[in-house]
Amino acid sequence: MSYFLKRILYVIPVTLAVGLFCFSLVHLSPGDPMDAVVSADAPSEVVQMVQRAYGFDRPLPEQFGRWVLRAVQGDLGLSAANGRSVATEVFSALKNTLLLTVAASLIGFTLGCLFGTLAGYWQGSLLDRLVTGLAVGSVSIPHYWLGMLLVIVFSVELNWLPSSGAGPGSSGDWAFEWAYLRHLILPAITLSVIPMGLVTRTVRAVVAEVLANEFVEALRAKGLAGTRVFLHVVKNVAPTALAVMGLELGYLIGGSILVETVFSWPGTGLLLNNAIFQRDLPVLQGTILVLAIFFVMLNLIVDLLQAQLDPRIKRG
Amino acid sequence: MADTMQVTPGAAGTLPVAPVKGYWHSVWGRLRRDPVAMVAGLVLLAIVLMAIFAPWLAPASPYSTSMLTRLQPIGTPGFPLGTDELGRDVLSRLIHGARLSLLIGVMPVVNAFFIGSMIGIVAGFVGGRTNTAIMRVIDVFYAFPAVLLAVALAGALGSGLVNSLFSLTVVFIPPIARVAESVTTKVRSVDYIEAARASGAGSLTIIHRHVLGNVLGPVFVYATSLISVSMILASGLSFLGLGARPPTPEWGLMLNTMRDAIYVNPWVTVLPGLMIFTVSICFNMLSDGLRSAMDVK
Amino acid sequence: MVYKNATQTWRRTGKAVALSIGLAALVVPAIAKAEQTLRIAMTASDIPLTTGQPDSGFEGYRFLGYTIYDALINWDLSSADEVSGLTPGLAESWEVDEENPREWTFVLREDVTFHDGSEWNADAAIWNLDKIYDEDSPQFDARQAGNVRGRIPTMDQYEKVDDHTILFTTSEPDAWFPYQLTFLLFSSPAQWEALDGDWDEFARQPSGTGPFKLTRLVPRERAELVPNADYWDEQRIPQVDRVVLIPMPESSSRTSALLSDQVDWIETPAADAIPRMESQGMTITSNPYPHTWPYQFSMLEGSPWRDINVRKAANLAVDREGLQALLGGMMAPAVGTVTPDHPWFGEPEFEIRYDPEEALRLLEESGYGPDNPVQARALISTSGSGQMQPLAMNEYIQQSLAEVGIELEFEVLDWESLFPNWRRGADHQTSRGAHSTNITFAWLDPFNGFYRFMHSSLAPPNGFNWGYVDDPEYDRLLDEARVTFDQEAQDAILAEFHAKMVDDAAWLWVAHDVGPRAMHPRVKGFVQSQNWFQDLTPVYIEE
Repeated sequence: MSYFLKRILYVIPVTLAVGLFCFSLVHLSPGDPMDAVVSADAPSEVVQMVQRAYGFDRPLPEQFGRWVLRAVQGDLGLSAANGRSVATEVFSALKNTLLLTVAASLIGFTLGCLFGTLAGYWQGSLLDRLVTGLAVGSVSIPHYWLGMLLVIVFSVELNWLPSSGAGPGSSGDWAFEWAYLRHLILPAITLSVIPMGLVTRTVRAVVAEVLANEFVEALRAKGLAGTRVFLHVVKNVAPTALAVMGLELGYLIGGSILVETVFSWPGTGLLLNNAIFQRDLPVLQGTILVLAIFFVMLNLIVDLLQAQLDPRIKRG
Repeated sequence: MADTMQVTPGAAGTLPVAPVKGYWHSVWGRLRRDPVAMVAGLVLLAIVLMAIFAPWLAPASPYSTSMLTRLQPIGTPGFPLGTDELGRDVLSRLIHGARLSLLIGVMPVVNAFFIGSMIGIVAGFVGGRTNTAIMRVIDVFYAFPAVLLAVALAGALGSGLVNSLFSLTVVFIPPIARVAESVTTKVRSVDYIEAARASGAGSLTIIHRHVLGNVLGPVFVYATSLISVSMILASGLSFLGLGARPPTPEWGLMLNTMRDAIYVNPWVTVLPGLMIFTVSICFNMLSDGLRSAMDVK
Repeated sequence: MVYKNATQTWRRTGKAVALSIGLAALVVPAIAKAEQTLRIAMTASDIPLTTGQPDSGFEGYRFLGYTIYDALINWDLSSADEVSGLTPGLAESWEVDEENPREWTFVLREDVTFHDGSEWNADAAIWNLDKIYDEDSPQFDARQAGNVRGRIPTMDQYEKVDDHTILFTTSEPDAWFPYQLTFLLFSSPAQWEALDGDWDEFARQPSGTGPFKLTRLVPRERAELVPNADYWDEQRIPQVDRVVLIPMPESSSRTSALLSDQVDWIETPAADAIPRMESQGMTITSNPYPHTWPYQFSMLEGSPWRDINVRKAANLAVDREGLQALLGGMMAPAVGTVTPDHPWFGEPEFEIRYDPEEALRLLEESGYGPDNPVQARALISTSGSGQMQPLAMNEYIQQSLAEVGIELEFEVLDWESLFPNWRRGADHQTSRGAHSTNITFAWLDPFNGFYRFMHSSLAPPNGFNWGYVDDPEYDRLLDEARVTFDQEAQDAILAEFHAKMVDDAAWLWVAHDVGPRAMHPRVKGFVQSQNWFQDLTPVYIEE
């Protein structure tokens, strides 16, 4: 079987297992899923009525079966807290998260490539050591804390940028305008430090490796133009850096919960956070499922692209 | 090297199989000459000592509140690092907070080190279908970014220290198991084990004599690189309200409860984060140093 | 639809100005300048339910209940000087039958229309009651029923007498029935029909009779209201052109939103940030209101609070003035469920004050001491409607009680878990073995202030007698008050009841909220009533 087919088919069992995991989550949880549905003063017959309406009275395997069947059709059930469609909630939040994470990735990727290349070119220099230090720092920093620092400096002390929300209108109104962009700046910078550190490290390593290559050394020895060397470097660095970035985007999407909480950014992370504290189990389930599947797919794409670019993987 | 928010077993390939006696001695020799790693190590040692001797070091009780001295800035006489929203001495809370913060940061990795190594060694040693089966199950967890998995588990289980420890342990088992499996598979094929087999030694003896010693070292180094991530995640869970509970001094939780004071006493509110950052970066640097010290080229 | 278009384009300045001038001219010809938008940051994490019976506690009623809808009897929120009373709403008048005090006749207001233009009458009223009470009716909505049924415990039957009269029968004589009806809001049957009987759709395009209409709902992000120019009470036609409600559960986010001019009004600002807001010219409003922040004790076997000395000691151990400072003055010390100047306070002998020596003495009397502290487990929440600053306040109380030898261990729940635990009782597993719960509440009326907590018949799962209080004397006084239709006589009984509660130190009383709000100085006309609910209609914007 070809590598590609195998890799694609492999997604199916993983997705099913992920589904099972998400479904079980709800039943790991101690609270009654009805807590979020009916208010504290609802009489018991109302509680039972709603229980039937949500299907919480059915046996577990049946609930799982129904859940999978509906999930396949894009129906993730109803939010226990507000009765709205979970799929709608998750996808509208996902749009915001994508906006944030793509912005963060772009910043992180650009800076990472820049720093990494500089450090790689002048390996061992003071600049290199600075960049390496920065990279270690950026992967060691609790980014939610960095977010707070930025808020203190730019919102509290200077009052230049807003510290919460996605903009003056709702997310459906988002436009490429200053009124909205200014809300994006702080959270995107906060989130960008992680990919920045990683890309820096990767690019630095690859650049150093390429420059140490005999062919390049020969070129350089001949004093041939820097441009050719640089192009050679870029050609070698780009696939790796892009692959790192692709995976990193997935991690950011799954991992933006802390930053979204700090900035009240209306994305999947905030949705998840609210769902946890409202014990809105269908939303919890649905959000995690969508994020995990998104991540699995992103991994698939990155793997396939890499295999396309590097034939060794296919054979291995 | 594991980065902040993801856990990759990339180290596995580069980790050496350590065959010689006196190897650790030479590793230590190299590590000692690495100034960055040594400084990081000393800072960590100081923080660990601070945690152990917290009750003697802290100038005040981390719990005693005072309405008269609320939200004092850094440098207030009697409160060198200011006070929090309930008038508690922030310095004392930071010192005491080291105990729980280190514990919830390090414990998941320690747990996962034992459980993950066991799974990985068994899978790698037995090989074949069993290996494939075990590793496929492990793979499922790779479908979740670490933060998401931790938050999902801790969120579903409900807030609490035990739940957050459990969630983080689950997060770190798969990567450690993968590394252990890959190193074991390598070690298994090494000649002297084949020889031991040929001479009729039982599986357990082989695992005990040869595999454990050669596998646990590299896995250990890998695990140390996860502590930094674990610190950040554990405090992150507390920051979200899923870990430690008030009034326990814990850095992540302190960040959370002091957030409301961000407009009043901003620079005091960020101190707990500085501690998390310090510990996290020191673990990273130490782990980097350890890796290069072990990397015999 | 005009409004919807307007909102989609309003940030494109040119068009927006043109359109809003057009709108403003339509709605309030007198102040036809730029559109007046009032942006409010609520503490809820989502937009409360908009179908008629809001969720999210009283904040839901405040912003998406009494704005879009009316009850038969409304709250009179026009005065800041006295505790709010009742005023006719969709009913012009009501009376109880003297022969049979279970029967109440309500005369409905005429010439009232819903936002969709359909008529308010007895049929609409009955239709709405079926929405809540008749599970077989097509319009029955479990969600709304769940939100309101428990607030009207004695509702038994209802019927139409004529087009403008309806008759209620209560399950037992209940002098407090009119208070309960303030929670029953009326949605438009015609709109529901027009939307094919879909309550979810109705939530997006609701139609009530209230002073505001909802024009836009973006779940979790915002709700937009515009004035109902045809509101039946001309005094209460809103002054602003638009109200934007934004859920913002984090208090630091609300602070920052106000200071950076993203909103004009925030609910419950962080106390510590108030000086900063004031220094930037923001207006802080506050007014005490019928709210109590207590510990409700478990009387079950094993609870240390069964000992009256321990209860009294706890009440004497808390320095409420210190706590007031913690909240930047934004609370009033509570020495009973109601405030001392209220007719229901009575004349208790036990004076609640800060007296740790007396507390120590009482504990010693019961055999406790430094080596043998009282150990109690307390349920608290991280946030919640009316919970004020629960973590900070509870930490403070924990510390105060520890000083006299009462060790509190907290079970910290989120509000959405703590609240449902209330009806489940101290012995339910979700209580995690706790000996007290900490849920703030409104004592708008005697049922909600006293009866549901202290009458033995309302032990879980029937009511909120969480700790299973069972005292025949409490039951007797409450039963008597409930059938005393003469106000003064009823007040006297309630005063006797409340004095007994204080003498028993039945609860640990800590604070009354003063409902702090912070707003931009351009917000004018707001009168903060002594109530959980507030009237947005007189508010206007003046740059």
